[in-house]
Amino acid sequence: MSAAPTLAGAAPEIDLAQLVKRYGRKHALEGVDLQLTGAQLVGVVGPDGAGKTTLLRAIAGLLEVEAQRANVLGFDLRGDVRALKAQVGYVPQLFALNRELSVIENLRFTGKLHRIATGVFERRAEELLARTALAPFADRPTGALSGGMKQKLAVANALLPEPALLVLDECTAGVDVVARAEIAALLAARRGETLVLLSTSYLDEAASCDRLVYLDAGRVLATGTPAELSAQVRVELYRAWAAAPRAIAAAARALPYVVAVRTSGRYARVEVAAERSPGAARVIADLAAIGGVRVVELRPLDMETTLLALARSGARA
Amino acid sequence: MSEPIIAATGLTKRFGTFTAVDALTLAVEPGAIFAFLGANGSGKSTTIRMLIGLLVPTAGTIRVDGIDVIATPRRVRDRIGYMGQKVSLYQGITLRENVEFYAGLYGIDGAALERRWGAVRERFALRDAEGERPESLPAGLRQRAGLALATLHEPRLLFLDEPTAGVDVASRDLFWQIIQDEADAGRTVFVTTHFLEEADYCDQISFIADGRLVANATPEELRAAHSDGYRIDVEAPLAAGALARLAAAGFSATHNGDALTLRRPQIDAPSLDALAAALGPAAIGGLRIEQPAMNDIFTRLIERTQVTAP
Repeated sequence: MSAAPTLAGAAPEIDLAQLVKRYGRKHALEGVDLQLTGAQLVGVVGPDGAGKTTLLRAIAGLLEVEAQRANVLGFDLRGDVRALKAQVGYVPQLFALNRELSVIENLRFTGKLHRIATGVFERRAEELLARTALAPFADRPTGALSGGMKQKLAVANALLPEPALLVLDECTAGVDVVARAEIAALLAARRGETLVLLSTSYLDEAASCDRLVYLDAGRVLATGTPAELSAQVRVELYRAWAAAPRAIAAAARALPYVVAVRTSGRYARVEVAAERSPGAARVIADLAAIGGVRVVELRPLDMETTLLALARSGARA
Repeated sequence: MSEPIIAATGLTKRFGTFTAVDALTLAVEPGAIFAFLGANGSGKSTTIRMLIGLLVPTAGTIRVDGIDVIATPRRVRDRIGYMGQKVSLYQGITLRENVEFYAGLYGIDGAALERRWGAVRERFALRDAEGERPESLPAGLRQRAGLALATLHEPRLLFLDEPTAGVDVASRDLFWQIIQDEADAGRTVFVTTHFLEEADYCDQISFIADGRLVANATPEELRAAHSDGYRIDVEAPLAAGALARLAAAGFSATHNGDALTLRRPQIDAPSLDALAAALGPAAIGGLRIEQPAMNDIFTRLIERTQVTAP
């Protein structure tokens, strides 16, 4: 497949300035600014209702939008986007392939839509079916596949035309860990060739993205690599280990600088507001003084802490 | 050990020639949070539908809260709350109207309804959502409302089938606080999920593949059996005689210059005591504990069953 003729030089593949989407009086997107350049894996994250689906649909050329600038792959989203759509793979939240057709028939249909030559189609389809472990089910009606298999097929189908831009809206919701790993491998195989935008609720998927766009109330609240996002968050994370951590949660919550406590297995994870923290040594001593606590760790911020803290700052704003 | 509140033996369901659930035996302790995990299509939802009396098994026995579910499926319904992957709230009417409808099904009205709904509404942070229609609520809030309705008749057990699928991290966090509070209050929770970090919020985990039970253990027992175990990097100086005591408590130690790394298949109460004693009160924060991730454990379990499957 050749690159889009409009994809000249180092111009951003996605360049949005003050992108707005209204549904009647309701604003789903309140002025999104976003520049993304180069083939990479970009995670769109944020609370339910933040506008993730609307933003992804807009970028895929599926919505009428208002904006100061709205360029995707060199096409203006405010104009004729038919040529853009031919270069974008899009997988919606709800499974949208034909349930009556078999796995291979769905792929063949997509191949014909995109006028992929038979020989090229056979090679790509074989590779995609092998990578997704769907080859033994090629002749099964799509409606009879498990939820995980359906999603693997949906992503494979979107990759078949080797699009320059792939947009995946929560395509792994309700999908098991092995099928998710197979979908991740499909995307990794296109790294360096396709700009992938995906929304996800899984912390491990967000952490493995090259870049994250954190959306809240229709605006971009933060962007950066996962590490850059964590560095913006003013929280310290501790783990207090105990034989029965549920019994220590209330005492930890009562400490004046503690923001949140949740127990998990053998520890309570304790989040401390950096601006109120009395220092790690004191926090560790306070937690250790709670009856039942055996050891305390100061942890590097993980994706869960980062996203929870961003959600709290979004709620305050 | 107390009498299991859920006890299924030899549970089997065939659809034509396809065996969805194959001689499954389960036992859940009262008040436990029980995770029922498996790959897509492994038979989880079919099992739940049999346990709550919506589907008649081909073979096997089921007792839930002392009731023979196969003989008297209707009797179990007052004892359980159920929330499916798609929350069963009626669209086009408000949450409050949904509440009144569901309460009516259980014969709850008047002062009893106000008291129970009032308490549930506060505990589940639903005050602002009461006048909204379900279709206008964000996914996380809708799931919480679904859970609230499932607890309105104060059931002894909750069956939750992927309650957090597609729900954001903050809503999941609140959801699990509520589930743990429900369990602490004595309710038994039977839950499925694909967010495997949530397995660690549970007391017991059963894992099924192709309709068969392949593991039934606590999270820590799973770590011991299906991972390389914990790695603990110790940065603080150890108390005198500490290494010998740690070795006696099942830790293996490797030195690399001044750095000390401990390993152990799982962490239990005695091993935590040994760690705390070895570090001494002044150095209790001087370590870094790397815990095997549940994602990796379940990937191993699924791959193992795929290799050995006929």
